[in-house]
Amino acid sequence: MSEVMSDTDKLHEFIGEEYKYGFTTDVEYDEFPKGLNEDIIRQLSAIKNEPEWMLEFRLKAFRAWSEMEEPQWFNASYVKPVFDQIQYYSAPKSKPSLESLDELDPAIKDTYDRLGIPLDEQERLAGVAVDAVFDSVSVFTSFKEKLANAGVIFCSISEAIQKYPELVKKYMGSVIPARDNFYSALNSAVFSDGSFTYVPKDTISPMELSTYFRINNMDSGQFERTLIIAEENSFVSYLEGCTAPMFDTNQLHAAVVELIAMDGAEIKYSTIQNWYSGDEKGVGGIYNFVTKRGLAKGNGSKISWTQLETGSAVTLKYPSVILQGDNSVGEFYSVAVTSKRQQADTGTKMIHLGKNTKSTIISKGISAGESQNSYRGLVKIGKNAENARNYSQCDSMLIGQTCGAHTFPYIESANPTGKIEHEATTSRVGEEQIFYLQQRGMSEQDAISMIVNGFVKEVLKELPMEFAIEANKLLDIKLEGSVG
Amino acid sequence: MHFKDLEFTSQPALDWVAPYAAKAAHALESLSFPTKKDEDWRFTPLKTLTKHAFQSVNSEAKSVTEEHVQKYRLPESKESTLVLVNGVIREDLSSFSLSTEAITVKRLQDMTPAELDEAGFQTLVPVERDYFTVLHTATLTSGYYLHVHKGAKVEAPIHVLNIQTGSATPYVSSFRLLIHVEQEAEATLIEEHVSLDDSVYLTIPVMETFVQKKGRLNHLRIQRENKSCFHISRPITSLEGTAEYHSYTIALGAHLFRNEPQIIQTGEEVDFTLDGLILIDGDQISDTHSVMDHRFSHGNSHQLHKVVVHGNAHSVFNGKIFVRQDAQIIDSFQENRNLLLSRDGIVYTKPQLEIFADDVQCSHGATIGDLDPDEVFYLQSRGMTEQKAKEVLTYAFALETIENIEVESVHTFLVDEVKAYTSRNVASRF
Repeated sequence: MSEVMSDTDKLHEFIGEEYKYGFTTDVEYDEFPKGLNEDIIRQLSAIKNEPEWMLEFRLKAFRAWSEMEEPQWFNASYVKPVFDQIQYYSAPKSKPSLESLDELDPAIKDTYDRLGIPLDEQERLAGVAVDAVFDSVSVFTSFKEKLANAGVIFCSISEAIQKYPELVKKYMGSVIPARDNFYSALNSAVFSDGSFTYVPKDTISPMELSTYFRINNMDSGQFERTLIIAEENSFVSYLEGCTAPMFDTNQLHAAVVELIAMDGAEIKYSTIQNWYSGDEKGVGGIYNFVTKRGLAKGNGSKISWTQLETGSAVTLKYPSVILQGDNSVGEFYSVAVTSKRQQADTGTKMIHLGKNTKSTIISKGISAGESQNSYRGLVKIGKNAENARNYSQCDSMLIGQTCGAHTFPYIESANPTGKIEHEATTSRVGEEQIFYLQQRGMSEQDAISMIVNGFVKEVLKELPMEFAIEANKLLDIKLEGSVG
Repeated sequence: MHFKDLEFTSQPALDWVAPYAAKAAHALESLSFPTKKDEDWRFTPLKTLTKHAFQSVNSEAKSVTEEHVQKYRLPESKESTLVLVNGVIREDLSSFSLSTEAITVKRLQDMTPAELDEAGFQTLVPVERDYFTVLHTATLTSGYYLHVHKGAKVEAPIHVLNIQTGSATPYVSSFRLLIHVEQEAEATLIEEHVSLDDSVYLTIPVMETFVQKKGRLNHLRIQRENKSCFHISRPITSLEGTAEYHSYTIALGAHLFRNEPQIIQTGEEVDFTLDGLILIDGDQISDTHSVMDHRFSHGNSHQLHKVVVHGNAHSVFNGKIFVRQDAQIIDSFQENRNLLLSRDGIVYTKPQLEIFADDVQCSHGATIGDLDPDEVFYLQSRGMTEQKAKEVLTYAFALETIENIEVESVHTFLVDEVKAYTSRNVASRF
């Protein structure tokens, strides 16, 4: 190692990897006027042929949103989205509900191929049902039959509103009320589409469910809505992965994800997020303001969030679990990587209400470039949560001298039988560590890669197999170019 | 809110502070009283404070005599005790005869504005810092300048004993310490707050401390006031390069104790400690908002904040560690341990790291929980009653923070206080 600082430079290089998926696809769009008012919502609801109660839900949310203030408390500074300039609905002209891949718009198909997600191959080889969301409308749903045989409902939320209105009506907004926060209210008013999953009693979903999100229209905000219900003693694993093309205008993504687990049920929700993060100067990139919350409603239920956050210009995201049922379990595993001028303020909330509830938080932040990476979490033990238990670990790694790592854990306990442990560390890749590995014959690049991989391993191992491979791929891409 | 309606009766001794107080009183009018909507006051209810109509009366209570003071005297500080009654020095009760070569003590009112400026008055804690600093300045009764001269090694701990004693109506009493430890000087300061009765008062002491190169200050802060009072303090310390500062805060009293210690590194190679022990029960509220601000390279800092909660007590901790950009090679460790021993107690904690430099080792840990049943069982299996076992464990938990206190008499009475607290509260659970 000729220069002492070279490891840092290398790391810079590896984190500063250009966005690979920055290309756009020319598809014709149903254009909607920009801006938001009640008429737009009525129009949106009419296009989607929604029942009256759905329109009411949207309008109520819109009225609530109109009165709400945009939150300011994040550890991030960015140009606020101009809500009048957002186009609240866009759908590919090609009609949804395709029976096979052949009916798919070739341009869309090509996009998926270039993203390295050949659907047909996945269909055949991986046995994964894919509900691909291209901008706002679900254009493709596969493996429906196989799931239907098991009794699992997995469809777009628009379809669920038509086919299973009772379920949607009962659960939508039950975990995240429209009024919950500014962005959830906005989403409740204008959500365009999303996924709906219902796993009946005593059923283990025969396959991992996955959705690929892709933002692909200039200035079109994405307002996805996901609702997953796991009945008694059921199990489902849901995968969500995102890539997006390169744009100069900031794009807002304000999704809402609600999970409900009944007695003995388990929901495992995994995310890989690799949206466009803006360029070196911080121009462009996605605003990822997502509300995700799970309700571990039943006794012995379990909800587990795993996320690998590498993209977006600004990420504000706190996947949470309300541990309502006795003996319920909540888990949060997160890796957040920020580089260039990215800002991430992410973490979780674990609200212990039931007896003997348990939660685990493992959060790993890597910040490089001029990025700011914050962990913000809440662990709360309610008065009646006997013997609640929490363990949190938040580690941050800094690469370079111009980035920042922050930890804001809120810890509250009102029950003496509860036990909370929290620890956090901040450090950097040690020169000694790199030197040690080099001495064992590894290149500097491999050494750094190994150290970073070791740092995040605890979280990545929580990802389902299909995603673990993709996560590794993603880290490899990030590492690419730093060799030599 | 009643504070705005306070009549700021200017007393003769306060002429010096009149311009500051007037400015503060003016500022107070435009400031809003902190509420739960302010992040800094989110978990700390101030309802009980606003219930009282405070007056800024400060009649120097002549009734305090040696008899009252006797039990607080420390043998180590025979010649270095300053006794303040309601924040105002009582020379007849003080016994201060240290060499003026080593240390000088002045009343702020005897200093010229130029001297005050030179000493850094209001530089670390400017008037407009926050609502309570403004209130402090508006109600300031007295202030003292402690100046430890270059190279002086002051062996005897300097004991600043502030005695509060009642008036029928709730009152506000604020005093200020301006402390300078010059180059290569060493001193120990024991700042103690006690009350003689159960009167309701609000005290807002402010300490501005400067430790210069190679200087060293041990700062013990003991707050054992009555459980009706409100104590809101701001000990702010600035450390030059190679300076050392070790602070230990032990708080047992007050209905509401809000402490905002802040340590600012202004040079390289500093070493500091910011330990705390809080023992609360009944309706007590204790809140520590600390800041350890590393602005230059090479710093070692350590914070151990322990809290024991009984009864309906309510504890808040927000410990910030900042490492600024280019402040490399910082080793900072923060530990917050909370023993929540009652059904109705609540603990809020928010350890916070904000790191802008990469070559650092920073970590924090926080725990909340009851005593470990295995440990209780172990002691029971050795023949202790459950009550005794719990007493021993609680005592041991608290002791860790006291162990580093080197002044023997202080150590001894703190051990007694801890014992009294644990036996009182553990017994109440049986």
